[in-house]
Amino acid sequence: MRYYVQRVALAILLLLAVSMLTFGALNILGDPLFNILGPVAGDVNNPDSIKMIALAKKEFNLDRALPVRYFIWLSHFVRGDFGVTFSSTGQPPVSGVISERLPRTISLVFLAQMFAILVSIPWAIIAAARAGKISDRISTINAFFLVAMPNFAIAVILKFVFSLKLGWTPITYVADDPLHSRLFQLLLPSLTIGLPVASVYQRLLRTDLITTLQQDFILLARTKGLSKTRILFVHALRPSLFSFITVVGLNTGALIGGSIVAETVFRIPGIGSTLVESIFRNDFPVVLAIVMIVASAFVVINLLVDFAYTLIDPRVRR
Amino acid sequence: MSTTSVTPAPEDAIVRKKLGFGFWLCVIWVGLMAFIAIFAPVLPLKSPTANFINSAQGRPPYAPSWSHWFGTDKDARDVFSRSLYGARISLTVGFTAITAGFLIGGSLGVISGYYKGWIDRISSFGFIVLLSFPSLVLAILLTSLIDRNLLTVSLVLGLLSIAPVGRLARAATLQYADREFVLAARQIGATNRRIIIKEILPNVAIPMSSLALLGMAVAVVAEGGLAFLGFSVQKGITWGGLIQLGSDASKTLQDAPWIAFFPILMLFLTVLSLNFAGDRLRTFFDVKETTL
Repeated sequence: MRYYVQRVALAILLLLAVSMLTFGALNILGDPLFNILGPVAGDVNNPDSIKMIALAKKEFNLDRALPVRYFIWLSHFVRGDFGVTFSSTGQPPVSGVISERLPRTISLVFLAQMFAILVSIPWAIIAAARAGKISDRISTINAFFLVAMPNFAIAVILKFVFSLKLGWTPITYVADDPLHSRLFQLLLPSLTIGLPVASVYQRLLRTDLITTLQQDFILLARTKGLSKTRILFVHALRPSLFSFITVVGLNTGALIGGSIVAETVFRIPGIGSTLVESIFRNDFPVVLAIVMIVASAFVVINLLVDFAYTLIDPRVRR
Repeated sequence: MSTTSVTPAPEDAIVRKKLGFGFWLCVIWVGLMAFIAIFAPVLPLKSPTANFINSAQGRPPYAPSWSHWFGTDKDARDVFSRSLYGARISLTVGFTAITAGFLIGGSLGVISGYYKGWIDRISSFGFIVLLSFPSLVLAILLTSLIDRNLLTVSLVLGLLSIAPVGRLARAATLQYADREFVLAARQIGATNRRIIIKEILPNVAIPMSSLALLGMAVAVVAEGGLAFLGFSVQKGITWGGLIQLGSDASKTLQDAPWIAFFPILMLFLTVLSLNFAGDRLRTFFDVKETTL
């Protein structure tokens, strides 16, 4: 129990640190007043501008000290109020933008993760069963090639081959389409993100499987006359999954980064592409909200991975 | 054991590890890219910014031909020379970033692994905070807020490498901090500074240095990703920027795929070489694996 409390406390501490860093960076390195008003913010000689500056400062609490602003923002943020977008009307509210677009990114990351796991496990098992043989070497080289291919390059290649030349997959994402066609539209983007990650998983799991296969209980299973498939899938896989699970959790960060790229290339209105657009539009509240949501999700996922770890191997708790 | 120690093992019985042919091929490619990056302006290359409009061929982009090996882009600029010039920013950023990351992260890691206690707690917490951001998100956030030139982009990517490098350096230092030779040095009155520099650092630096190439590959990819999204160095040619230019409109990508694909090839070969050479070096220096 004490272990869990400690982990949760650390996660909360991390979230606070992350939020201070993000809020601080955007406020100190960036210029929120300029983001709200545009060029008017620098025009301090015109009485009209001065009035607007004073009004905006009041409305967005910019006349308060930075720590005060941080606590005001934080108290709103934890209640799900992310402020207003810096468009001329302030509509829609940031929480509206997020709740519309976040599900697309979540399903994209989820599909990519599923794809990577489903591909890498059999791939690693086959490679480990034939460790050192030609087929294993070829698959290792393949994994090497995939890891060296940046995800934006994979996105461009997949789009070129499957959307433009073969015409098998649609080029754009249509938010109003029925579920099955939207899932189909997410196929190439999730491949983009999942392929390099799958090869990372494969390399790791293959090494761990080879280590496991040298242990005595595998020898025992073989002398019992169990089939090779049964040994590989039932006996060897589970004890080899420890570092695999950690890496799956840690790679969620890479998947989120990948989704920014994939959403931009395949024009999916998720939070990744919204982050990029909002930065170019200087839409500070949206940027702040997205970075915070993404970082929080990452912290929470890593916490859950730690907990999953204790379920598989109770020794960790001590 | 006593009998074998009398007669030394014959030379060929010792399994000598080799770096292999592939390693040197990769080193040659990276070396070539570095050479081109440094000397591009004096090499006999076409100007990367000139517009080679050829009225006989109609409207650009022109397909690859004898005069333009990799073809030209929409503004009739030579893709071959642009792809080579692209190595300049990408490699400089990659190199500077990983150097900064190793200097800062490495020393932080060694110091916290050696002194332990509150220094270790603070820096380890700092590392976890940095690792709590998905790296591309943190990179985008920071580069969007600063004036993007060669140095600042490199430093942002360097900041991202502090945490992973620091954690490795800390773990490596912990392995040596309580070993006999360190205790011996302390017994004869060596200062902490001397112990760190003379006793710890040589042991930590060699395995760490083999990770530098892998780290540089990560930094080059990260720079490419930033450039692709429009967050890298504002002026100048980068591989990521070239790929973005060749693929932002589906029509460009469909009709003139060479604009995006040649920079992709250059980037891919460079990252592959860095990864492969780094991986070979890592196994080469991994003492645990050597058959003694």
